[in-house]
This record gives sequence, structure tokens and C-alpha cells, in this order.
Amino acid sequence: MLSDDRSGRFNDGKSAASRKVRLWSLADGVEIRGEDGFLIAVWKTADLVDDGELPGGKGLRMRCKAEPDARLTVEAAVFVRPVAKRGTFHWRIPAAMALGVAVLVGLYLALPNLARQIALVVPLETERGWGNQIAAGFERQMRACRTPEGNEALTRLVERLAAGLPPERRAVNLRVLDNAAVNAIALPGAEIIVFRGLLDQAGDPDELAGVLAHELTHVGERHPAANLIRGIGVGVLATMITGDASGMVASGAATVMAAAYTRDDEAAADRGALRLLKQAGIGSAGFATFFRRLEVLEGGKGLLPAWLSTHPETASRAAAIDAAADPRKLPPSLRDAEWRAVKSICGKAV
Amino acid sequence: MQSRIQASRPFRHHGGTGAMIAVALVNLALSIATLSIWRFWGRTKVRRLLWSGVTAWDDPVEYTGTGGELFKGFLVALVVIYLPLLGLYTWAQALVVSGDPLGTILLSVLYPLTVFLIAAGAYRARRYQLSRTLWRGIRGGQTGSAWGYALRSMAVWLLLPLTLGWVWPWGEMWLARYRLDNTCFGDRRFCCDAGVAGLYGRFAVAWLCIMAYVGLVSLLFVQTFLDSMQTGELDEAAAPMIPVMLLGAVIVMTLPWAWYRAGFYRAMAGGTTFEGARFSAQVTTWTLIRLSIGNGLISLFSLGVLRPWVALRIFRFACGVLAVDGVPDFAGIRQGWDKGPKTGEGMVSVLDGVGEF
Ligand SMILES: [Zn+2]
Repeated sequence: MLSDDRSGRFNDGKSAASRKVRLWSLADGVEIRGEDGFLIAVWKTADLVDDGELPGGKGLRMRCKAEPDARLTVEAAVFVRPVAKRGTFHWRIPAAMALGVAVLVGLYLALPNLARQIALVVPLETERGWGNQIAAGFERQMRACRTPEGNEALTRLVERLAAGLPPERRAVNLRVLDNAAVNAIALPGAEIIVFRGLLDQAGDPDELAGVLAHELTHVGERHPAANLIRGIGVGVLATMITGDASGMVASGAATVMAAAYTRDDEAAADRGALRLLKQAGIGSAGFATFFRRLEVLEGGKGLLPAWLSTHPETASRAAAIDAAADPRKLPPSLRDAEWRAVKSICGKAV
Repeated sequence: MQSRIQASRPFRHHGGTGAMIAVALVNLALSIATLSIWRFWGRTKVRRLLWSGVTAWDDPVEYTGTGGELFKGFLVALVVIYLPLLGLYTWAQALVVSGDPLGTILLSVLYPLTVFLIAAGAYRARRYQLSRTLWRGIRGGQTGSAWGYALRSMAVWLLLPLTLGWVWPWGEMWLARYRLDNTCFGDRRFCCDAGVAGLYGRFAVAWLCIMAYVGLVSLLFVQTFLDSMQTGELDEAAAPMIPVMLLGAVIVMTLPWAWYRAGFYRAMAGGTTFEGARFSAQVTTWTLIRLSIGNGLISLFSLGVLRPWVALRIFRFACGVLAVDGVPDFAGIRQGWDKGPKTGEGMVSVLDGVGEF
């Protein structure tokens, strides 16, 4: 409340005119009168809002809740009792903030499961389309290796292993690409790509069979599609956090594919591989051997072979495979001639 | 430049640098703590400080936008614009990867579409900001169509390479006129009839300097490269050239360009009127260079954290140079009926940072 009559400037909120006024304090508010004494407005104390000091400190600004567009500037006012402060604390802002953070964190934690659920409802044909496109992209950058004998041997091995998969996933398409990477990848749909480097490193057909069984399990459980969806989800979350979509738009399916599988997916693929090997009547010792071989490679060259860098924790996984190993002595998964054909599929001598 | 009648400088900025830096640092801390969700409220705080520091004819300007409005606008744009666009980009890239020519066609449509959406978003953001800007209780506003503005921007950007850049002064002024002609205060519009007749001389000098410099640098590079082919030593010859070249770039390119920009701002302000009052801007080349180099260094060394300070410097600069010839008839200006958009700046906040204001 004002202690005394004061002069000020008044804007009525209807026009941009500024009017010189006199202010009279009442018991329950302020009376605003023109210089001619004509009454312009009465503002109740309960409705008064302190708008702070005029920049430069030459007066105080006030508003009235009942007339939100009107403004009053009081020249050098002295207040007996302070009016309501404008900057009262709003609980809604921290609440909205906490909710936002919770949603972001929740989405991030739920993303792997969410992606898996979405992957399950993606039609098989759509998934095959994605896989074909990505595989075709690889084939344009690297030479595809094909020999009649080699492909026949590989197809027979894959069909033997894939017999343990759900029926609609059994028609797996396997490609060998001429690249030194020690790697094999499963793509959405039912596509598997094996790089020549992996064939070079595999010591016997059972080692290759183990890796194929692992990748086939990824195919059977739709991990690649879930991975793709998860990668896109991470990009969307990153945009929500940074508020900048330019990076996400520039990155594409390629970087999304580079995202590693989750640990759960890997463990599931190892278990599934053992099951597929067993059903196909192939020993699992080669699978464990291959893990150990990669570990030696890793130590020797100081470079992580590609299949390992997307499939971490080698030693413990090799041990897990050994523990679940089939004690029976089984014949090798490929005959010698077949194995030689596979090893030389890219034209290199055995 | 002396004006005919005495022009007044009704705009003043009272905001302190310390207060703004403090807000910027608090915003940084809160943004980290909230996984960046604070940024909408933080930006609003910065704007409140920027706006409320300005007085025009001794009455302060107010910013009435809220962080919640910006946040809602962001969420809407995320769902309506960003996610569909992301889907299309992902699809197009998958097609490109598979060698389908449709992918390239799709991308060649998506890139301009994105630029188009950013331009339209920037125009809508301006409408939001003006509608949240009050003076003497009267709202600002913006008419015109965001799509129309985006189409005009696209036309300028398309003509730019076709004309080797010479469309720029005209195009830039054309867009500025569209913005200003559609800027309202209350129920009245600003009016801008600024031309580019006096600007092409300055632009020609800047254009020639830049072309000459680029040509010279490429020649030097070719020469150095050829020399190194013969001697096999590249590093020693090239190393001292780099700082010299950077310094050269500042002198040869920045000076004429700032000279052009100063001319542009003067022409733009000089062509703008509001209710019988004509604006003018006493922008000089030197003050403009000082402003931009200072702002560049602040942004660079603070990694963008102190961008609010940059915004403050721009506000101060604008308040310092803007003069008005005559006083608009304020009593005749009524409150406009348009309260502006309910949510703020969606498209821009998703597709581009755009800065503090
Ligand atoms: Zn795996």
C-alpha cells in the first residue's frame, strides 16, 4: 500500500498511450486518477502484483490481476506494506522437470525390451527387405565370394543348423564377402554375412559351425531387427536430450547397424548355438576353441578382431561353452573336401 | 550522417553483464542435472533478462513467454515433424545403401524440405517471440505466412549459386522487408521500403576481395604442393603460411564484408517506419567488427555456454545504434486481437539451435 499520494504513469492495456496519473491510497487498495482528478481505476491490494523496479531505478512497476494488460509505474514510491511478489515459487516447473527426466531415463532403460517387442510385430517380409538392402549395400563395397562347391557345402551346413530354428526363419541366406575382417554378422530378416577373414582364422569346420550357430540364433530370435530399432531409439533419445537433430539426420542405417548387441542377446545366442549344434549332431568343442583362438589373436596383435569387439567377454563365454559341452565324440561337421572348398571360396589357396 | 530533424535515441539497455553470466552458468548446471530438459526454462530466463533490460521512451519491455510453452512446442514438433522426417531419412538411406535410385531422389527432396522446414520454423519462432513481447502492456505480433517466407528463402538460396552470390543483397533485403512488413505492435504494422540500390557497390568490393583472396590462397596451395613434389618437404614451407593466411582472411575478407553489413543494417533501418516515425541505425564498420569478433571469441572459448552474453551484447548494440525520427502516435495504437501461438518454437527447437533469442 502506498503511504501517500504519488505521481506515476499509467498504461490502460487498451492503447499504447502513457498517461500521467496521481495515486491515492485507500484502506484496501490504490486509487488511480488522472491529473485532472478524474478517476481512472481502483486497484485492490489483494490484486496488486509487484513488477519490480524500473530499469535504471527511477520507479516501481505494478500490475493488477484484474486488469492483466494494464501497467502502472510509480515514481519513487514508498510502500508501507509490500505487495505480492511476482516471482513466487512454482512447484509445477520442478515437477515437469522431474517427470521429463524420469521419462527419459525410463525410455532409455526400457529401450532394449521395447525394441524387442516392436521387432516381434514387424512383418517378416518387411524385415527381409531391410536385411536385403543392407546386405546389398555390403556387396557393393566388397566382392562376394562364390564357388559351386564352397556354396553347396556352406548351404548344407547352414540348413543342418537352421533345422532347429522356427520354421519361418529356416530359409537363411548366407553370403561370403572378400574382406580381412574376422567377422560374421546377422542382418534383419534371415541374412548372414561371413567375412573371408573369419574363414581364414577358423581351424576346422566345427569352429565355423559354432559361429554360424551363434549367428543363426540371433536370426531366430530376431535380434538384428531389435538392434536396428534400438539404434533408432537411441538416436531419438539423443535428439530429445541435445535438442539437435542434425547429427541424427546425418547418421543413418549404417551407424545404427554398428550398435552392439546387448549382453542378454549374446548369452541367449551362445545358449541357442549349443542347442542348434546339439540338434545338428555337431560337437561344441570347436565353438569354444574359436573363442580361445580369437583371444590369442587379440593378445598377439593388440587388435581386437571384429567379431570379438561386437561380442565381448570371450574367456568367460568359452568357459560357459565348455561347461555345457557335449561329451560325445562326433564326426566333423564338414568332410575334408567340403572344408577345403569353403576355405578357398574367395580364391585363396588353403 | 546528420539527420534532417533531430532524431532521438529512445532505446536503452540497462542489463548488466555479471547478472547475465550468472544466469548462463546456473542454466548450464541445471541443464546437466536435468538431462538438458531445463534448457526451455533456461532460455526463457535469459530472454526475460534480455527483454526487461530494454527501455523504450523510458518504459520497459517485457517478455511473457514461459518455459512450459517452449517445452510443449518442442514435444509437438518432435512427434509431428521430427519423427516422420527421421523415418523418411532412415528409409531413404536404406534405399541408397541398397543401390535403389529412389533413395537418391528421396534424399534430394528431403534435404531441401528440411531447409524449408527450418526457414518456416524460424519464422514461426519469430511470431511466438513477438507475441510474447509487451511494451506498455501492448503485445507485439507477426502476420504473414511461415510457408510463404520459407518459399522466399528457398528461392534466394537457389538463386545464390546460379548468380555466383550476386543475388544476396537483394535477397537478404527482400526477406528482411517481408519480416518487417509483417511485424506488428498492437494493431499497427511496421513498414519497410528499404532498397538495395546503394548496397551493390559495397557488395561488389566485398565479393571481389573474397574471390581474389580465395583465388590467391588456392594458387599458393597449388604452388606449395608442386614445390613439395620436387623437394619432398611439405611441412616447413607450409607451416608459417597458415597464420599469415588467417590474418589475411581477417583483413581481406572481414573488413569489406563488415563494410557491406554495416551498409545493409543502415539501409534496412533507414527504410523502416512505424506510425509516422522513421528509424535509423548508426552502424559503423568498426563497431560491427568489434561486436562480431568479440561475440565469436566468447562463443568459441565458452563452448557456447556464454551465448546469453553474446545475445546481451547484440541487444546493447542494437539499443545503442537505433534512433527514431519523430514519435509514433502511441495513443492511436490499440491492443491487437491476436494473442499469438499457444506453444512456442517447436520446429526450430528440434531442427536447429538458433541461439538464445
Ligand atoms: Zn552375437
